[in-house]
Amino acid sequence: MATESGTRDQSWFGDTGQISRLPGRVFAATCLGATLFAILTVFGLLVYVANDAFRPATADPRWHLVFFLTLVLPSLALFGYYVARGDGESWVAATALGIPFFGLLLGSGVLLLFIDVLSVVAWLAFVLAVLAAAVVIKSHRRIRPAPGFLEHLLVIVGSLGAVAPAVYFGVVNLPVVPTPWLIYLLTFGAAGAALAGLVVARRRSSDRAGLTAAALVFAAAAGGGLAVSAVGIEPEIWVVLFTFAGVPTALYVESVLRERERPVGLLFPLVVVVGILLGAFLVDTLGFAGPDSWLDYGFLTSADSRFPEEAGIYPALIGSILMMVVVAAASFPIGVGAALYLEEYAPNDGALGAIVKLVQINIGNLAGVPSIVYGLLGLALFVHWGGLRPGIVIVGGLTIGLLILPIIIIAAQEAIRAVPDSMREASYGMGATQWQTIRRVVLPEALPGILTGSILGFGRAIGETAPLLMIGAAATVYTPPNGFFDLFSAMPRQIYAWVGKPAHEFQYGVMAAGVVTLLVVLLSMNAAAILIRNKYQRRT
Amino acid sequence: MSQETRTPDFVGGSGVRTAQEQAIKWTLFACAALSVFVTGAIIATLLFDALSFFTEVTPADFFLGTEWSPKIGQEFGVLPLVAGTLFVTVMSALVAIPVGVASAAYLSEYASESTRSVIKPALEILAGIPTVVYGYFALAYLTPALRSVGLPLSTFNALSASLMVGIMIIPMVSSLSEDAMSAVPDSLRQAGYGLGATKFEVSTGIVIPAAISGIFSSFILALSRAIGETMIVVVAAGMRPRLFPNPFESLEVMTAAMVQLITTDIAGGTVAYKSMFAIGLTLFTITFLMNLASRIIAERYREEYQ
Repeated sequence: MATESGTRDQSWFGDTGQISRLPGRVFAATCLGATLFAILTVFGLLVYVANDAFRPATADPRWHLVFFLTLVLPSLALFGYYVARGDGESWVAATALGIPFFGLLLGSGVLLLFIDVLSVVAWLAFVLAVLAAAVVIKSHRRIRPAPGFLEHLLVIVGSLGAVAPAVYFGVVNLPVVPTPWLIYLLTFGAAGAALAGLVVARRRSSDRAGLTAAALVFAAAAGGGLAVSAVGIEPEIWVVLFTFAGVPTALYVESVLRERERPVGLLFPLVVVVGILLGAFLVDTLGFAGPDSWLDYGFLTSADSRFPEEAGIYPALIGSILMMVVVAAASFPIGVGAALYLEEYAPNDGALGAIVKLVQINIGNLAGVPSIVYGLLGLALFVHWGGLRPGIVIVGGLTIGLLILPIIIIAAQEAIRAVPDSMREASYGMGATQWQTIRRVVLPEALPGILTGSILGFGRAIGETAPLLMIGAAATVYTPPNGFFDLFSAMPRQIYAWVGKPAHEFQYGVMAAGVVTLLVVLLSMNAAAILIRNKYQRRT
Repeated sequence: MSQETRTPDFVGGSGVRTAQEQAIKWTLFACAALSVFVTGAIIATLLFDALSFFTEVTPADFFLGTEWSPKIGQEFGVLPLVAGTLFVTVMSALVAIPVGVASAAYLSEYASESTRSVIKPALEILAGIPTVVYGYFALAYLTPALRSVGLPLSTFNALSASLMVGIMIIPMVSSLSEDAMSAVPDSLRQAGYGLGATKFEVSTGIVIPAAISGIFSSFILALSRAIGETMIVVVAAGMRPRLFPNPFESLEVMTAAMVQLITTDIAGGTVAYKSMFAIGLTLFTITFLMNLASRIIAERYREEYQ
């Protein structure tokens, strides 16, 4: 017995020296290396293409120095401080910079759409028509709280089918219309003010605070418009950009300040903006030349050309924006609707249950169908059978909308599934119907997740090229499309058109600039999705 | 009064509510059913023109023919295109599978929470870059870089396009495999440690074998993505059908052949036009079967724990 325990003492556990740590270390290092290889290769290529597009080497070294001192150094130092504190300030900083940036991007897109494509009066007429229809439906509900189903349906159909068109054509044919900027103020400015008022009223649970916020926002939109028009800038630019960038930023700042949620992070965007302005001012007064970039204002605002110096991406940019309007309008409501059915209504058993299961498998498979096959589908379905002209905006948008539909459905399903059942049961317990529960409880709760997934899907849509080739989107158009039934080119399609030009200036200049433009749009969409996700992950 | 209270109506009583609820339910059902319609439409449109193609070119000529020259020679043998696709797929798999699995193992087993929070979004960004941009990278940077190390590459070549396709599908392999590895229950790992295994032995001897069905299904999905990939190959690999691809020269894959057909202004209804749909049908069938196989492998051969 004693001898046994004696030997056991020696052998029941190993000595650390007996285990070779080498294979483990090599394995871990290999795995890390593989991960970094993938990421660094592509990021290295991104640096190359950015270098070709911006050509920072052509700038005066003193120009770099000025911006390094005013912008890079302070913001890096501040961000380093946030990360070192490690208390979540860096996320506040990133969000506070990201919201105005993304808002500016979106607002510029809307502005471009209105400048080039849509008529302001038609827009006003459209808004008023929708408002009128909504007012009719609401007031009918108010006067007769319990109408029969037919009566209800009649009112909805009547107001959408008769009242709205009447208002629309009435306004379009008005002999006198307000000036464009007043229209923008009455539509965008008022909408922004109403939204801000609602959010503030809900956050502070006080109608008065909401009214104050709405009044402030509207006054800022109107006053700012007057102020910038005094300087010579079109006031509508101010109204739209303020609504899309200023209002969300102000709301975010308000929430951070009120909840005292690491308000130090708010310094970051200030430092960045002041750095840019100061740097630009210094460089301008001291006369240091900036880089001779391929990607400059001229590139963004001119059409393609035989000469690389004059080539630009403007018509393709407008084409992409217009196409994305169709894509979003076609795929988002249907995708979310399908996800709602599959998650909230679909039965698990019986004949319908079997169909639902099939639908589910089918959606998974659709997500794996090559994009070029969707192009063939669009060509056959919309062009050959639907009789639409090949290469117009609506054909491209619908084709790509079909392509990202499964992506949106899957993302929305995941977000809806993550809403806890206890919330639904609480709503049912208070006497809500299924639709009321979905509208008031499930959808608001799942919205950040749905948005994240959808933005990623839209990012995929904006970069798709193969389906556009198949439906015959033009290689190059020299004027932006004038409406949804016009021929168009999109950014990726334009980039592919430049592949055919082997000259060095096109390969490493114009194309690089086009690629960077596309990537900036896309990466900021991805960043927005990641920010939304992180903000709401924190909360749960 | 008493009549009414005896049967409490939890839905709210008024007919409009239930009718509205039903209307909403069936509208949402229609949205979900639209996805079935899309599949049906894909199959119908592909079949319609492909069948009409096969009345003019026999399936044997199409599937076994070794010459592809739809415009000039009226030769519709798909084998050179299939060979090109196969070459690109195999080459890209050689890049993506080892790198993807290793990166998944790192993310799932070794990475700390803060490292993951940096690497995961970075991989997502890679997955979000449009393929035409990857194609541009291959054409403008990868090919010159490979040339500078002495490879005799032509401007459009199979090698750099395949490598780029491989890089493009790494995030897909990595994230799907990582999901599979993360789904392995911790109790298995702890049992391994309890038996005295090192972390390396646990990772390679327990986690990867336990997750193997998920890992394989990620391979199949990623390869099906590589087969259907269009823009990288169109931009960087050129459009030269070859039965025996040479990595240093250009080749043509199935998707590129379709792009070449549509961009050279073929009239609707010609044999060349219909041949696009025949290739499309082939492509759709292959990728559909692969996706189905991946699903079956993931579900049927999954080790059930707990």
